[in-house]
Amino acid sequence: MKVCKGETYERVFVNEEVNLNIEQEADSHVKIHVINAPFSITVNQIGEGCSTEIYGLEHLRGEDDVTAETHVTHSVGGGTSNQLVKFVLEDNARGRFIGDLKIAQDAQQTEAHQTNRNLVLSETAEMRTQPQLEIYADDVKATHGASTGQLDESALFYMQQRGIDKEKARQLLVNAFMREIVDTISDERMKELMNERLLNAIDGVVE
Amino acid sequence: MKALLEIKDLHASIGGKEILKGVNLVINEGEVHAIMGPNGAGKSTLSAVLTGNPAYEVTSGEVYLKGENLLEMAPEVRARAGVFLSFQYPVEIPGVSMTNFMRTAINAKRAYESKEPLSAKEFLALMREKKKMLELPDKLNNRSVNEGFSGGEKKKNEIFQMAMLEPCLSILDETDSGLDIDALRIVAEGVNKLKTPHNASIVITHYQRLLDYIVPDFVHVLADGRIVKTGDKSLALELEEKGYEGL
Repeated sequence: MKVCKGETYERVFVNEEVNLNIEQEADSHVKIHVINAPFSITVNQIGEGCSTEIYGLEHLRGEDDVTAETHVTHSVGGGTSNQLVKFVLEDNARGRFIGDLKIAQDAQQTEAHQTNRNLVLSETAEMRTQPQLEIYADDVKATHGASTGQLDESALFYMQQRGIDKEKARQLLVNAFMREIVDTISDERMKELMNERLLNAIDGVVE
Repeated sequence: MKALLEIKDLHASIGGKEILKGVNLVINEGEVHAIMGPNGAGKSTLSAVLTGNPAYEVTSGEVYLKGENLLEMAPEVRARAGVFLSFQYPVEIPGVSMTNFMRTAINAKRAYESKEPLSAKEFLALMREKKKMLELPDKLNNRSVNEGFSGGEKKKNEIFQMAMLEPCLSILDETDSGLDIDALRIVAEGVNKLKTPHNASIVITHYQRLLDYIVPDFVHVLADGRIVKTGDKSLALELEEKGYEGL
């Protein structure tokens, strides 16, 4: 599909597998959230001054096996892109992130960020991360980061020391991890819905 | 006088290395006990063991809180029973708001005491009251727990949590470290305001300075895992003058 000059394409996909191949014309904007579904999103900025935002959140349990793929290409300059993909893995779940970021030789003054953060909550869950960066232009700002870890034991103990039981403390930390993605949803009603659904309402929560 | 905490011949280790080698201590209601000692003496280990930090192993000995076996309780149960630790290094918890964190903690304690949870309105009123009492700024509420706080703000936030939870036994672990004199004064005044005839404090410190503000009833010197000397507040001054070697 094509996002025409100056237009905006914004969608939140929940529990729905996503396969998208998008070309962005000049000054167009793309903002996509995928929550709890496999996805493969390819975006090519073919016009100047575009912005692309891709957010993925996968909370996997049981035997879930989910791959999230992003392929972002800056063919011309002056554009921005941000990819943030987070996995929470429990039980025997398997997750995989494949993220390509390509900045072509002519795509000067591009700003591009790719981040993949994963929280592994069981010893039998597994996460694989394959980021790939190809940068051919020299006047660009590009960052990428990937990390896979467990819950912060010192934070868990701190909360227990205040009387919060370990299970609830874990839930608060997992929710905090996921909230970063939910907070980026523009539509307030959708954000609220996701907060309720994902961050399974905890007793005593006040916002 | 009622005994609040009784520690009997407590031995504890971390990673197989014995740190506490037979600590005995009785703390009664209304008392302030200072524990001083050189680095590595076991001061922080004692606070970790009393609060149930899983990194430490109690190898022998007994601890009772109001006659109940403290060592058998999970860390969160100890907290609800009234043991509070002001951490030497308060932990930053990004994404968890102070308000949410504190309300979850308060209501966990209230459930333990078979009390109804506080409503949002009651809770916010309580926060305001305690902040005012401690002369703390309002801005801490909507931030994540300790995230981006300065050293002084973190310590003030510990005392604020102490005020909210109204513990019967507060352990202040090196609360003075990294504080300038103004922050030290605010923190110490907070601790003094929270003192009642029914609660008690253990003030762990390396320096005499804090004890100018929080005056202890007893000063204990912990060295190589044992309490080697006990005195009144003059012992702290003596230590400051002569050092631990002078004992």
